[in-house]
Amino acid sequence: MAQSDSTDAMIQGGIPKAEHPVSEAWRMFQRNTAAMFGLVLLGFLVLITLIGPLVYSVDPFEIVWAPLTPPGQEATAPLGTDYLGRDILAGLIHGGVATLAVGLAAAFITVTIGLTVGALAGFYLGLVDDILMRVTEFFQVLPALMFAMVLVTLFSSSLTVVAIAIGLVSWPPTARLARAEFLRIRNLEYVSAARSVGAKNPRIIWRVILPNALPPLIVSATLTIGTAILFEAGLSFLGLSDPNTYSWGYMIGSGRDNILDAWWAVTLPGGMIFITVLAVSLIGDGLNDAFNPKLRER
Amino acid sequence: MHKFKSLSLATALVASMIPGSEIQAADPVKGGTLVIGTTQKPRHLNPAVQSGTATAVPGTQIFATPLRFDENWTPQPYLAESWSVSDDGLSITLNLRRNARFHDGEPITSEDVAFSIQTVKDNHPFKTMFAPVEKVDTPDAHTAVIHFSRAHPAALLAMSSALLPVLPKHVYGDGQDPKSHPANNNPIGSGPFKIVEFKPGEHVILERNPDYFIEDRPHLDRVIVKHYKDSNSLTLAADKGEVDMYPFVTNTRNIGRLKKNANLEVTSQGYAAVGPVNWLAFNTKNEFLSDVRVRKAIAFATDKNFIINALHGGFSQRTAGPVVPGSPFHAPDVEAYDLDLDKANALLDEAGRAKKDDGMRFKLRVDYIPGVAEQQKAIAEYLKPQLKKVGIEVEVRAAPDFPTWSKRVSGHDFDMTMDIVFNWGDPVIGVHRTYTCDNIRKGVIWSNTQSYCNEEVDDVLSEAGVEPDPDARAALYRKAQAIIVDEVPIAFINTVPYHTAYSKKIGNPPISIWGAMAPLDEVFKTK
Repeated sequence: MAQSDSTDAMIQGGIPKAEHPVSEAWRMFQRNTAAMFGLVLLGFLVLITLIGPLVYSVDPFEIVWAPLTPPGQEATAPLGTDYLGRDILAGLIHGGVATLAVGLAAAFITVTIGLTVGALAGFYLGLVDDILMRVTEFFQVLPALMFAMVLVTLFSSSLTVVAIAIGLVSWPPTARLARAEFLRIRNLEYVSAARSVGAKNPRIIWRVILPNALPPLIVSATLTIGTAILFEAGLSFLGLSDPNTYSWGYMIGSGRDNILDAWWAVTLPGGMIFITVLAVSLIGDGLNDAFNPKLRER
Repeated sequence: MHKFKSLSLATALVASMIPGSEIQAADPVKGGTLVIGTTQKPRHLNPAVQSGTATAVPGTQIFATPLRFDENWTPQPYLAESWSVSDDGLSITLNLRRNARFHDGEPITSEDVAFSIQTVKDNHPFKTMFAPVEKVDTPDAHTAVIHFSRAHPAALLAMSSALLPVLPKHVYGDGQDPKSHPANNNPIGSGPFKIVEFKPGEHVILERNPDYFIEDRPHLDRVIVKHYKDSNSLTLAADKGEVDMYPFVTNTRNIGRLKKNANLEVTSQGYAAVGPVNWLAFNTKNEFLSDVRVRKAIAFATDKNFIINALHGGFSQRTAGPVVPGSPFHAPDVEAYDLDLDKANALLDEAGRAKKDDGMRFKLRVDYIPGVAEQQKAIAEYLKPQLKKVGIEVEVRAAPDFPTWSKRVSGHDFDMTMDIVFNWGDPVIGVHRTYTCDNIRKGVIWSNTQSYCNEEVDDVLSEAGVEPDPDARAALYRKAQAIIVDEVPIAFINTVPYHTAYSKKIGNPPISIWGAMAPLDEVFKTK
């Protein structure tokens, strides 16, 4: 590790280093009120999701009161009950883990596939690029929601399958972005410099190009979390969520039939998803702004 | 107008109290169009080779049957003006009306009846309806004698509604497969209405048959069966008066909504013969469920009162046994398995399934039919927290569509499943199939997918199937049901709360045992 760091320092030696790029980005990010608001919001949600279940330990599956009790009417279920009589508040608190986990997992899968495909295509070009880009286009023209529905239908509607399905249908844009970045950077002088000191291809991809291609990919990955959460909610709305894991998406899916009689069973988890996606988007935008000035300076 | 309505209602009420009387309209109005809304889309219109309500509603308008039934389970003359059952029960003689003609003008003969029985016997999914038929003699053009290998009291019911449509032999006898016969989309029958247009997924338009064999009927000029995408849009259409009649309303919130509409009547009458039972079936080959005590425990742990009153708003009805209340073969005094968690826990302990450290005993999966959420999915999801109380972990296994569910259950790849099964009027048609040992047929949905087998039940059921005396028959069925309920291959929950919503302009609504799956020749519509 130490050795490779020194090699990097040698490769990038010509560029003056005023401030570490991460701390510079963080400084830029802090200046962005909207982004900080998003971060605080997300922190709050994560807190509810992680600490909440310890404080409010009602099992979200448990039937606690009469079905379809409106919010504010019964102390046992302060935010009302769903069509089976399950506590909405417990659902909101306990359902966050699954929703956030699906979002993170799907974003992780998206970035992994997208980055691998994009990096290989953008670096090696030629036949590799042709094949990988045709595959990407194939996935790109598939209607994402339909394809995800088919996957979930074919296998099962467990949370894992849902996350994988979302990941599988959302990677092409990331791949395109990664490819474009790699195409741009592979011809820059410091890459030639690395090659001239004898760095092998994997090393150039991993240690030289990737760190410099990361900023836009981080932004894209952050936004993907939001999209993935919305996607999960969409699948749930169509009744394809995992009935054995309490998630906000599942709450929406199961409350949908009674939306005319019980708005709270759908609106409250919908609100949580809205807040989460808003927070993630604000952070994503903030990151984008934080990374971009650096590019402009260059 | 109000006075008129109450008068016709009163007549219907009086008529229903006199057994065997045909309902006569007080003063039926001629003409008009009846629009029936449905979410059930038929593949074709020939009920001889297709079961289900989608084909049956238009099918019973197009095709006449030898008999029809009133709301008291009494057979009435229809194409057969009279009939007699031999003393030994081994033959039934039908005397057909002489004036009856098909929609193309050809007269209906006993040949057509014989041909239809053979077609239904060979092609209809309900094999038991005409399985005992040995041959049908046609001594003359208007007499058909059906010979059975054993007494078959279910035969009369199997000759009504959509179960034995009399097909024109001169159309269907051309050697083509009746299941895919081109005439199935544009059928020629002899019922009160003839086909004008069938647009799959959109509508079936029927018009008055002017040569109908019952004089002065039908009253209506046209019947349109209009197909709707889902029950919510159909409910809104009925609410707005876009349709005159909405049979088979299932969702209890929709029933409640329609009941509030001052222009509509909503009745639960007309579903006695269909007899739809909503139940939780057990795979008795499952390592845990093979023990009757485990099955009993689950039955005791399920709160039927909560399901019926809280989940279904009180619109569905409890049925503790396989035959629905409202059928002459219902068994009212079987074990009801009222909620008793202590008993359930005790039974599970007794079965040797003690609670582990985490308070749980074992895990089971529950499946459900997608699409009828309130009856199926809701109860499956209810079982998860409910059975947890007695230490059974339940995994709800969602199926994305009907074929997936059907494949799992018919392939015996399930632990427990919610299911809806119809009685279809006579237990021989709709009840035996679930319990007899010889009907454990992998790959066939709504067979004995529970793999339940008790020779005593088999014996009692086959005895009941051939018993000509109605009272003795009912007693045998009560005996069989007592055993079945005691051995719990199935935890019976409720009847599906089918209702018919119809405009107050409609006179003589279909309230016979077959409801809208019967000729609507008496229905009329005031201006």
